Amino acid sequence: MGKALGSVSREATYELVEHIGKGITETICLALLVSGDEDALQLVRSNKCITIDGCPLQCAEKNVKFAGGDLAASFRVIDVLAQNRNLKPKRVTFIDRDGIQLAQAVAEEVAKEVGKLLRE
Amino acid sequence: MTYHSKKKVGIVSCSGEGCVEGTISRVATRLVLEELRPENTVTICLPLFLAGGTEDRAFAKSYPTITVDGCGKLCAKIGTERYSGKTASSIVITDLIRNCSRSKLRSRRRLDDKTLTVARKIAVKIAQEVDNIIEQ
Amino acid sequence: MSEYLRTMFDKFELRVRKGYYYTEDGLWASLEGARVRIGVSDYLQRIGGDVAFIELAKHGSIIERQKEIGVLETVKAAFSLLSPISGQVEEINPMILEKPELINSDPYGEGWLVILTPINLETDLKILMRSEDYFQLMLKKLETEHGNLGSR
Repeated sequence: MGKALGSVSREATYELVEHIGKGITETICLALLVSGDEDALQLVRSNKCITIDGCPLQCAEKNVKFAGGDLAASFRVIDVLAQNRNLKPKRVTFIDRDGIQLAQAVAEEVAKEVGKLLRE
Repeated sequence: MTYHSKKKVGIVSCSGEGCVEGTISRVATRLVLEELRPENTVTICLPLFLAGGTEDRAFAKSYPTITVDGCGKLCAKIGTERYSGKTASSIVITDLIRNCSRSKLRSRRRLDDKTLTVARKIAVKIAQEVDNIIEQ
Repeated sequence: MSEYLRTMFDKFELRVRKGYYYTEDGLWASLEGARVRIGVSDYLQRIGGDVAFIELAKHGSIIERQKEIGVLETVKAAFSLLSPISGQVEEINPMILEKPELINSDPYGEGWLVILTPINLETDLKILMRSEDYFQLMLKKLETEHGNLGSR
């Protein structure tokens, strides 16, 4: 909620589920999963999961693991940022141009992993 | 030693990625934090809070909280009450936009002008709740 | 007795490690026999934001006090880190090159930056702040800056 890279992880997720990986990927609310929602738990346990974390605390990764989810891969936006140092997303509420570009870079990395999983 | 600045209210907001109401919840809360009541509000990261974030839970125990939920699952309200105590106020987006046809709320990714207007109105409502709490 | 001076601001606990020396910019120096360990304060890592990348002076290089010992790149900006003391770089923390987030999660512990052999320690220490004074400075900054601490 409070970090620009959190907004980037959100945007990257939408880029995947609504565009690059439309029809083959979907997302769920992390809060639902952490709250123990049965549908959310069922979803992560019966499908391969990829997490995208906006901050080093890695709540998404930790909580999918804790929920017994089938965690195939985890990504941190900050690692993609380290490879794209010219991008400096500043805004949190409404993502800025650097944020969108960084999200695109994250989504592309994740898409490669999705591709691998589909080929397995 | 504790340093106290102005009276603070914690806002625990859903940011549900799964639906447009989650995005509205998030944007409305951010508008309160950034524009409407920046000196009197603190955001609490809901997933971290639910997962055991000690700073967030401690804050929510010591300060009044407003929960903002996108849907009837009430993750923010239930979680806050479970881990930090009764909330001072609870806002549920789906209740507030009951009269607004869901088909008019388009993208969960980017709020269009109409949906952003809805978010701004909700932000004003949250800010009023902040004022009510501070005045007590 | 706690090793730290502590304060709360919003939901954040900010700590200053007792017994260390500090610059106004927020770098600390800890005396360890003939060597000095250098790091960033809790306040500096908090206002700086999540660390994405860190560059540090090379092993063996001589650094003057208040000259750049490294650059901290966070999600917000790049911060030039100015050495609290003059000395030769003896060790660079290998962990933070792989996991720079240690600077955020453990700034006084595993997030240390470098170890120097000091050249002019007695003079340099006179210019640095003790932990109690740095703590007061930090409180003042919190008051005037209203805690631009991120996660707002």
